[in-house]
Amino acid sequence: MKMEESVTPLSVLGPQCEAQRERIRKLFESGASAQETLRQLCELADGTIRKVFSELQNVKGGATQGLTLLALGGYGREVLFPYSDLDLLFLFANEKIEDESRPLVAEFSRMLWDLGFRVSSAGRTVDECKKIEQDNAEFHLAMLDRRYLDGDKALFEKLDAKILSVAERQARPFLLVELQRLTRDRLGRYGNTIFHLEPNVKDAPGGLRDFHSTLWMRQLAGDRRDPRFSPVNEDELTRNAVEFLSAIRCFLHYSNGRNDNTLTYELQAQAAERSLGIDDNLRRNAAEWMRLYFRHARTLNRQLLRYVDQRPPVTISLRQRLVNAAMGAKTEIPTGKPFNLRDGLLEISNEHLFADRNVTYSLLAEAARAGVPLSRDAERSIAYIMAHPELPQRNSRITWTVLAEILGADYPGVALRPMHRLGLLVEALPEFRAIDSLVVRDFYHRYTVDEHSLRTIEHLQELTDPQEPLGQHFTPLWRTVDRRDLLIFSLLLHDVGKGMPVENHVTGSLQALEIAADRLKLEPEEKAEVHFLIEHHLDMSATMQRRDIFDPATVSGFAATVNTHERLQRLCLMTYADIHAVNPEALTPWKAEMLWQLFVATSNHFSRTLDRDRLHVSDEAALLEQVRAHADGAEKKEIERFLEGFPRRYLAAHSAAEIAAHFALYRKLGAEPVQTEIKKTQHAYVLTLLSADRPALFATIAGALAGWGMNIVKADAFANTAGVVLDTFHFVDMHRTLELNPSEILRFQQSIADVLNGKQALEPLLKGRLAASVARPPKVVVPTAINFDDGSSDHCTLVEVVTQDRPGLLYGIGSALARLACNIDVALIDTEGQKAIDVFYLTAQGKKLTPQKQELLREVLQATLA
Amino acid sequence: MMKIEAIIQPSRFESVKDALLEIGIEGMTVTEVRGHGRQKGHTEVYRGREYTVDLLPKVKLELVLPDQLVNRAVDAILKSAKTGKIGDGKIFLSRVEEAIRIRNEERGESAL
Repeated sequence: MKMEESVTPLSVLGPQCEAQRERIRKLFESGASAQETLRQLCELADGTIRKVFSELQNVKGGATQGLTLLALGGYGREVLFPYSDLDLLFLFANEKIEDESRPLVAEFSRMLWDLGFRVSSAGRTVDECKKIEQDNAEFHLAMLDRRYLDGDKALFEKLDAKILSVAERQARPFLLVELQRLTRDRLGRYGNTIFHLEPNVKDAPGGLRDFHSTLWMRQLAGDRRDPRFSPVNEDELTRNAVEFLSAIRCFLHYSNGRNDNTLTYELQAQAAERSLGIDDNLRRNAAEWMRLYFRHARTLNRQLLRYVDQRPPVTISLRQRLVNAAMGAKTEIPTGKPFNLRDGLLEISNEHLFADRNVTYSLLAEAARAGVPLSRDAERSIAYIMAHPELPQRNSRITWTVLAEILGADYPGVALRPMHRLGLLVEALPEFRAIDSLVVRDFYHRYTVDEHSLRTIEHLQELTDPQEPLGQHFTPLWRTVDRRDLLIFSLLLHDVGKGMPVENHVTGSLQALEIAADRLKLEPEEKAEVHFLIEHHLDMSATMQRRDIFDPATVSGFAATVNTHERLQRLCLMTYADIHAVNPEALTPWKAEMLWQLFVATSNHFSRTLDRDRLHVSDEAALLEQVRAHADGAEKKEIERFLEGFPRRYLAAHSAAEIAAHFALYRKLGAEPVQTEIKKTQHAYVLTLLSADRPALFATIAGALAGWGMNIVKADAFANTAGVVLDTFHFVDMHRTLELNPSEILRFQQSIADVLNGKQALEPLLKGRLAASVARPPKVVVPTAINFDDGSSDHCTLVEVVTQDRPGLLYGIGSALARLACNIDVALIDTEGQKAIDVFYLTAQGKKLTPQKQELLREVLQATLA
Repeated sequence: MMKIEAIIQPSRFESVKDALLEIGIEGMTVTEVRGHGRQKGHTEVYRGREYTVDLLPKVKLELVLPDQLVNRAVDAILKSAKTGKIGDGKIFLSRVEEAIRIRNEERGESAL
């Protein structure tokens, strides 16, 4: 065999390589598959490397014993993208050979660079390969894909079969943990989502790195694939996804002329134009083509997540998770419920039960309640059911009650995220499909529309246990917001119109709401509230950025749009979440402060202007007709007498049907001077009481409720011009008296009426109950603050009392007011955790309180609250 | 070349931007800032807690313009940012010695 003694000059080899590269590029551009393109690029690299390596060795006196050349990483897997690095390893039998080979290695690397290959090389002796480098897991992971290229083959076989097989087996746990850590870091850098508007097709979640990491993890963990999941065409899905993403990566490299893997808007349009990665010849616009991208990315990301212990989607402190888990295990998963907790994850005890969607939804509701994610096994089982529609499935049509339970919980995103991943969300809410993986191009949003929508919800649930100072103002709002289910439902739908053929996305979202609300059978008031939130979801943001929020006219104009404090709270949270979810930098502390200032100013406007804005029925013909429609045969005049003079808040807080129900109670006042009605809501009972005004009325009702052990969390008291008082108390049945003994409800109502009518004494009722409650120390100490305001109302003095909530508090305050002959014109009672916030509009002898009276009242209240 | 720094009310930003666009000025740097001059802050009480806003939210615009455009730009800002109330903001002018476009190293007014 003739030995070559010279090296082919670069002037010859260089153009040859270039011509080959150009040929492969044209092959790809003419429609060759990515797999074929990558194979040919790899062959070109292999051939060139072997030729240069052997020629250089020959020049230096023949093949070097004890020197081997290996391909690692992607190149080791025979996957070489046009501008990717060539990962090479020079393996030396010992240090002497390493020293002697330095000139050869240097010249070899230089030549490859000059031939246009981006060489990334490392050198190790065989002994060095026996050790696992704790701070260089990346190298050992790349070694998992080693491939012999040239040189001493016996040395490679020794390394492969005798050395690394042992070292790697021993290092598997370490490598697996390190790979999981690296993977978590990588996913975290991209916000743990595949849904980027301009994704990196290699490193972002759902990119090719996910696929390779999955292969490594399977290799390190030992492939224990559950045979149930293979038939879901998973291998085929994976092959298709890898081929699609590989084609994109080739295209990006060729388009950019470098190893740049960002799929920009411009290149998305070009890729869609040439139907890149698609065989069906259907023309797609960029948004439609990107949906294919996200579908494939989701396949790869889902597989990866089975192997990596990914962080839960919501950041909850360890303490909170332990508390939630313990609470769930002890109190909220009664015997007979088919799920349990393991390692802080929820799983189903019998996966066959997943055939019943109600079981699936109850599991998701539990996840949303406790903030505990589903286990991977539970998700896999649900995915299997979802992928097999031919299997018998029960209750696949969700009801509003079931959906509202998930949406109204503390951590709705913990359930909604897997629901979206598994296709349950579009099954429950088909309108959401319009924005599934939808790219809407602007330079402000970073995520697809569905991802943005889910992030809004996750940002809100983070307020349950806030980790960042940005959300601290808003945490109490989230914790106390009324009808959280409607707020979350609004967030799910608020941008759905972006995926519909309408000019203004809000119009589309409202159309979607109409359909969804009809299907889910929302009550008219519920639909109206969601309608408002969607219709006005940009108003608060626009007001704070385009109006002077320190101008009272701006505040009063905005308040007129919003109408009630409850709605303001929901809209504020919606705005907070909507801005926050645009991109990680969108909600600056500056914007958060502006939003908070507008909220505070508007909230104060509501509580300070209640008596100014009274109802005059002559201006309310439409309302009268609505109430009449619900009140059988009532005279218009009679309704007018009832409504005249109530604060407008009364109208804003109640639907026409509710007002008609109140009117029905009003009509019975002639027969019975105290009329009550009790309703149960999701979290509390609501007592509505009508009576003619009388001294100490409010205090007496509060006392009767306290005597029954009820904790008042919210209340309002209004009076009309005729002196009829309408009080509404929201209370929690602390001892579950009414829940466990439904027959007690009637006795409870009668007892309140008897106390008010003087047939039953209040003190004995209160005595035992309050004595039993006094001993408990508060968890959070709330200092008492009493503020008087004479400027906000024309004829009342406002007093705001903020203090530690406790049993019988309202009775104590109300009694103090009554003792000083203060008449309550309007009362607004609220609770925030252990803080009670009570606002009273007071008069004494029909006038504002004098400064002396205010001072006396302050002293009496301080003594009462001490 | 002159540098214009304008501190304005956030609510006037869109109007100022539109006014500058009308006279052909598109490039500017915008920063969300807080501060106060004669317009002191105020205190708002919400649920028993006092929130003192002593540094009010403002928007700062920075523009570097050829000398011949400066007066028109200042006029545009004045007209569109003025509400007549305390707190409308300030405009600061300063001379700029050189401007360099990083992309192609052009210098002077052509780099603006």
